Amino acid sequence: MAGPWWRQCKRWTTICGNTSLFETLWQSNSRSASFTASSLGRTSTNSRPGNERQSSVTPTETHLKRLHFTSSISRHKSRLLDPKLQTCSCRKIHSDAKLLDPFTLAQRDLKSLYDDIRKELFVSKEELKYVCDYYFDGKGKAIRPMIVVLMARALNIHSNRSGDLLPGQRAIAMISEMIHTASLVHDDVIDGSDKRRGKNTINEMWGERKAILAGDFILSAASMALARIGNITVVKVLSQVIEDLVRGEFMQLGSKENENERFKHYLEKTFKKTASLIANSCKAVSILVNSDPEVHEIAYQYGRNVGIAFQLVDDVLDFTSGANQLGKPSAADLKLGLATGPVLFACQQFPELHAMIMRRFSSKGDVDRAWQYVLQSDGVQQTNFLAQRYCQEAIRQISMLRPSAERDALIRLTEMVLTRDK
Amino acid sequence: MLPATWSRLTCRALSRQGQRALSLFSSSGPSNWTKVVSDAEKIVGYPTSFMSLRCLLSDELSNVAMHVRKLVGTQHPLLNTARGFVYDSRNNLQMRGLIVLLLSKAAGPSHTASDLLSQDMVSGIYPSQRNLAEITELIHTAFLVHRGVVNLKEWTVSDGPLKDMEFGNKMAVLSGDFLLANACTGLAELNNTKVVELISSAIGDLVQGIYYENSINPENSLNDGVDVASWEEQTFLSNGALLAKSCQAAMELAQHDKESQKLAYKYGKHLSLGHKLNSDLQPFVKSSVGEPLSFSLSAAPVVFHRQIVGQERWHQQLQQVQTQRNQLDYSKLLAAVKSEKGVSTAVDLCSYHSNKALEAIQAFPSSEARSALENIASAVTKF
Repeated sequence: MAGPWWRQCKRWTTICGNTSLFETLWQSNSRSASFTASSLGRTSTNSRPGNERQSSVTPTETHLKRLHFTSSISRHKSRLLDPKLQTCSCRKIHSDAKLLDPFTLAQRDLKSLYDDIRKELFVSKEELKYVCDYYFDGKGKAIRPMIVVLMARALNIHSNRSGDLLPGQRAIAMISEMIHTASLVHDDVIDGSDKRRGKNTINEMWGERKAILAGDFILSAASMALARIGNITVVKVLSQVIEDLVRGEFMQLGSKENENERFKHYLEKTFKKTASLIANSCKAVSILVNSDPEVHEIAYQYGRNVGIAFQLVDDVLDFTSGANQLGKPSAADLKLGLATGPVLFACQQFPELHAMIMRRFSSKGDVDRAWQYVLQSDGVQQTNFLAQRYCQEAIRQISMLRPSAERDALIRLTEMVLTRDK
Repeated sequence: MLPATWSRLTCRALSRQGQRALSLFSSSGPSNWTKVVSDAEKIVGYPTSFMSLRCLLSDELSNVAMHVRKLVGTQHPLLNTARGFVYDSRNNLQMRGLIVLLLSKAAGPSHTASDLLSQDMVSGIYPSQRNLAEITELIHTAFLVHRGVVNLKEWTVSDGPLKDMEFGNKMAVLSGDFLLANACTGLAELNNTKVVELISSAIGDLVQGIYYENSINPENSLNDGVDVASWEEQTFLSNGALLAKSCQAAMELAQHDKESQKLAYKYGKHLSLGHKLNSDLQPFVKSSVGEPLSFSLSAAPVVFHRQIVGQERWHQQLQQVQTQRNQLDYSKLLAAVKSEKGVSTAVDLCSYHSNKALEAIQAFPSSEARSALENIASAVTKF
């Protein structure tokens, strides 16, 4: 049953030369580096309750149809379709709870999210107010607040309480979205983007100067809301995120010559730019309800692993999704000179990519050529595969919590992260 | 690695000397101010900012420094900001941090804090207050950098290649964000959520103030005149809130009561306004020989002048001083402003704020630090 795993692992081991897959890509970035090859084999043989198997296969199929796999890649289709690859549980999953999708389940706690944010962004200057509210129009996916409220409820139940959110936890959900948005606003200036979520960006509409100030303002409002929770540990945890976001952005400026270092650099950047916010927000809601550091670590590790998987899939979508689906043009990363997962994997099959990565796809035709190489390689598949590994670790972590509808929703969320198409 | 660090350290040490030397010969900036500030620095022990030093020495910022060299020859404001780290014509580099330290020292140890905590004091200042002083400077510098972001749609050929301007923006955004992020983590380490909230609100004020600065275009004739009260309100946001709230936070960190916090806030607020008026007034009260005269149309005396003479006359005056090449003849404009009450209104307001600042610190026990604060408050009225 574990056959497909081993084949994949072997492939990877050969690709990575003398360093094994788990050393390079997994343990290098993992604080709880207990996810060894043997545990993988064992856990993957656990089968899931029949009623859930159905639901996990369907989105995978649709997902595969959307991916522009070349014929050579589609041969591996069956492997990805194996439902046991999708999810592995280390403990029995709570199967009695009504299966609500995470979005529906989180909705009750997120109804007033954008209203609350707009209240935090109170400022008398009309135009500044308008610019700051611009992205809080209720059209975002609000993935981060969703994870935070589900995690908070799961943790509250785990801590022998009712699931209902504490005021501080509700604030963390809001703050996570604010910090995220503030960094998007600045990223758009740095990348010179003119479109975001199908809208013109703030820099496109009001110019770079105002965009930067709007981002700073959102951040200051988030920081005030954070301080008002009144828990200094929580303040420290989320301030770390702000620092990680900037350091991650700095990491994007450089390219590494050495391949192993390049992967490490990429995953570290991914952690800092995407996963740190989710991981630390999860940790923060845990701190507010539970004093056990082991529980904080579960929350943190779930967020960290889901966060990295989320970004890996995002990087895949940059190659596979049409321009209109993602709300931004495809190959955006290549155009910015960034070598993400699919390119780094493709480079192992097509060493020609190395030079292009080093010059950040700046020569004429680089972007198109790199694009072709990636689609001819199994870089997309490998990146998806890596994302699955992170999701499995997220599930392993969250499964240590007491069963609850919200915990199970967080497990299902990992599937949605893997199968999303936008 | 070590040599690089060393040279940067030396560079910074040199620049501090350079800045002192420069101010000695500098014709702009009140020399009295320079003396008052350098005397005050001695009182608080070491003035060097370790936190900003750590930032300057970080891989991230030294990377930026390397890239900034590419901008030489362009008009990107980041270049000037970077230069400003080395030479500050008014010698008020880290002035805010200095005030926070002086106030901390003047207020002394709190009665409620344990003796154990008092043992950590260096030159009568708690380590947390020193950290706060540096955070204040980090935030101030971050916004100096962010102020230098340019709107690319307004780009003209004379600015230099568009690609360089884009790059300059990227560096400005990143390094400003880096400084702000370090300020955030530094704030959290102060272990006081009230202080985090207060300083975060100061960042919000600063943004509002700068946003306002950006949105008023003084040459745009459609803007209504601004009265003194709203000038003060706006100037407080862009130039006073950070210092006022940092002074208040310094009291909170030493667990001084609400009253001391209020007084510290007042000192910071009035000093900032007085200082801003002083620097806005410089071109109007000094006879600058040989120097090309220029001043901002949003400088306090001009703003007050516009309010006094009314929009219509102001426009006439602006047209009268226009040169053939559609530029302003600043010496003629200066004369026009001087002929009315704008300058004296600003001078009076400057004295008012100086006095208010002096008044605020009278409640603190008499000390060397308090005298220094008094000298600084008095110096803003010297031209």
